[in-house]
Amino acid sequence: MSFEVVLQSIFSAAFIATVIRVSTPLILPAMGGLISELGGAINIALEGVMLAAAFTGVIVSGFAPQWFPGAPEWVYALTGGVAGVLVGMAMGWMIAFFHLELKTDIILTGLAMNILAAGGTVFLMFSLTGDKGSTSTLDSAQLPAVQIPFVNTIPILGTLLNGENGAGYNIMSYIAFVLVAVIWVFLYRMPSGVHLRATGEMPEAAQSVGIDIRRTRYWALVASGFCAALGGLYLSMGYLSIFQANMTAGRGFIALAVVYLGNRNPIGTLIAALIFGTASALGTRLGTMAIPPQFVEMIPPVVTIAALVIYNIRRRARINAAARRFQEQAEAARP
Amino acid sequence: MTQNKTLIEAIRIVVVVLIALAIGFVITALVSKEPVAAYTALLTGPLPKISFENGFAITNINRFGNWMEESTTLILLGLAVAIVFKARQFSLGAEGQMLLGALATAVIALKLALPFPWHMILALAAAMAIGFLWGLLPGLLKAYLAVDEIVSTLMFNVIALQLFDLLLFNWLRDPTAGFVGTVPFPDSAVLPLAISGTRVSWMIFIMLAAVVIVWFLMERTPFGFELKMLGANRKFAEYGGINTKRVIALSMAVSGILAGLAGAHLSMGLLKRLTINLSPGLGFEGIVVALLARNDPRWVLVAGLFYGYLRTGAQIMERSSDVTREVVLIIQAIIILLITAEQLFPRFQQWWGARRNNEAAMERG
Repeated sequence: MSFEVVLQSIFSAAFIATVIRVSTPLILPAMGGLISELGGAINIALEGVMLAAAFTGVIVSGFAPQWFPGAPEWVYALTGGVAGVLVGMAMGWMIAFFHLELKTDIILTGLAMNILAAGGTVFLMFSLTGDKGSTSTLDSAQLPAVQIPFVNTIPILGTLLNGENGAGYNIMSYIAFVLVAVIWVFLYRMPSGVHLRATGEMPEAAQSVGIDIRRTRYWALVASGFCAALGGLYLSMGYLSIFQANMTAGRGFIALAVVYLGNRNPIGTLIAALIFGTASALGTRLGTMAIPPQFVEMIPPVVTIAALVIYNIRRRARINAAARRFQEQAEAARP
Repeated sequence: MTQNKTLIEAIRIVVVVLIALAIGFVITALVSKEPVAAYTALLTGPLPKISFENGFAITNINRFGNWMEESTTLILLGLAVAIVFKARQFSLGAEGQMLLGALATAVIALKLALPFPWHMILALAAAMAIGFLWGLLPGLLKAYLAVDEIVSTLMFNVIALQLFDLLLFNWLRDPTAGFVGTVPFPDSAVLPLAISGTRVSWMIFIMLAAVVIVWFLMERTPFGFELKMLGANRKFAEYGGINTKRVIALSMAVSGILAGLAGAHLSMGLLKRLTINLSPGLGFEGIVVALLARNDPRWVLVAGLFYGYLRTGAQIMERSSDVTREVVLIIQAIIILLITAEQLFPRFQQWWGARRNNEAAMERG
């Protein structure tokens, strides 16, 4: 149990592979949270969307063989995945509809969606499988792992790029990293991304130059549901191969915090998600060494709160400095 | 005028609840072979049965007890949410405050030996104190550093859960038990029963006192006035000379006291010990109660009794039919969606009016 053993296990390729596995279901919903947050429509329902998508993916892929008998396995996985994504997008649309058309408070609507997902998944699971805990009786499809060829022969790189047993990461892990890049390009290199950010930053100004705020926020919330759904699908069709009641276990809420810790930009959000993932992986690893994992798992939320505090102190200092400068200039200008 | 408005508001809430129950029935009918029996169990289950066959007798008192137990927790949580919502603070910290409240009672109950009333009182005080602290921290961060309370309280919930697990696994756990939990609390730290044959404890009196105290706090004290002013318009409240920072921090801290008490009810009243996965998500159930009550403590009592009735009925339905209790969560979500939809009824009127106009036009045409 020496300190060296701990260090060795942390700085191993296998550990990094674990970090990527546990970070994937944070990166994906966090990207969803980022889009809606930047559009000025906070999505509290990431948790619920993940749960609903995870459930839909398992149920649809599990029942798909009855609908298309004899089709190859990937068809079932794809059907489940598409269904899960559609459910996530529909939930995003519903939040937008209630918030923008019926003028509900977006936070309460998001919470209602979380409750709906928590209740609805267990309710339907029991009706469809007769079990309230998990879908272990249902034979559902898995999303494939993608193996990068040729690198397995190289000792450390093989583990790093293809995971602990060299079989490759789940396709969702790759999608997560690609999504970060896509969203970065969208936000900073495309007109619609600029429109989205303008809508969040200053809606009146955005409207005055002809941006349709309502439509932008609709799309932001639907896209947010899309991303969170991918995270949920990974949990039930990659990370595990079943759906369990409340299997998201607060990841959607953590993803929301990750956006803030990441200073509301894609790269920062990715790093923040990896910090949470590292702490979680570390906790599990230390747990086998008789160190309470809860200590480690407590670090990211504390860091998040500290980051928010520092951010706000710096912002206040900046505002004060600007005010002082203005005053000095005004005094200097006085005759 | 205001009388009229309150009446319309009350009608609106009743209509929303009825719509939600109707949708719940449709959903039940889709999956159940005996939806009417299931829904009857949901809607009448918690009532005690009175029979006159062998003289006057009340049976099923335990179901009535379950209703009161559920409602006690829900009303405490509803009061906690009502206070912060009244001040327009979106604190979601009740879950963590509740967990730590239960944790504090376990520490006092198991690690201290004291005679009866003092042991119980100290445990309750500890739950209230930790709830206060766990609300005060995000409150201070919001008030003085403008740290968003939604994110901070969610993070405080995560920390609370880890603290709970940490102490339970490493310090409080009974290693001989077949599950992760503590030994039963000593009698000196358990809330005495109020109704025999049930688990309804003295907490029901504490809860009733809390309703009165919160009402008094809101309606008859300067703090309550400041709270309402802050909720109505922060800038205006500041111009009026109110120290809004103090009110924000205090509103979240006072809310924490009540959530802490709800946690104490779970451990000292219902379970009489501490177990892992105490009650995930229960902390969010106060929201629907506060919304139904429009953040009025008196109506929190009514809304809590209603929602507790529904939850108890759902448990009875689950035992006696092929429908799970989670249907009540679906109903709850629909209630929240519809009750917060300010434009729902105006829109409906608009649509209805347009249709009538069309019909009239068609008749004329």
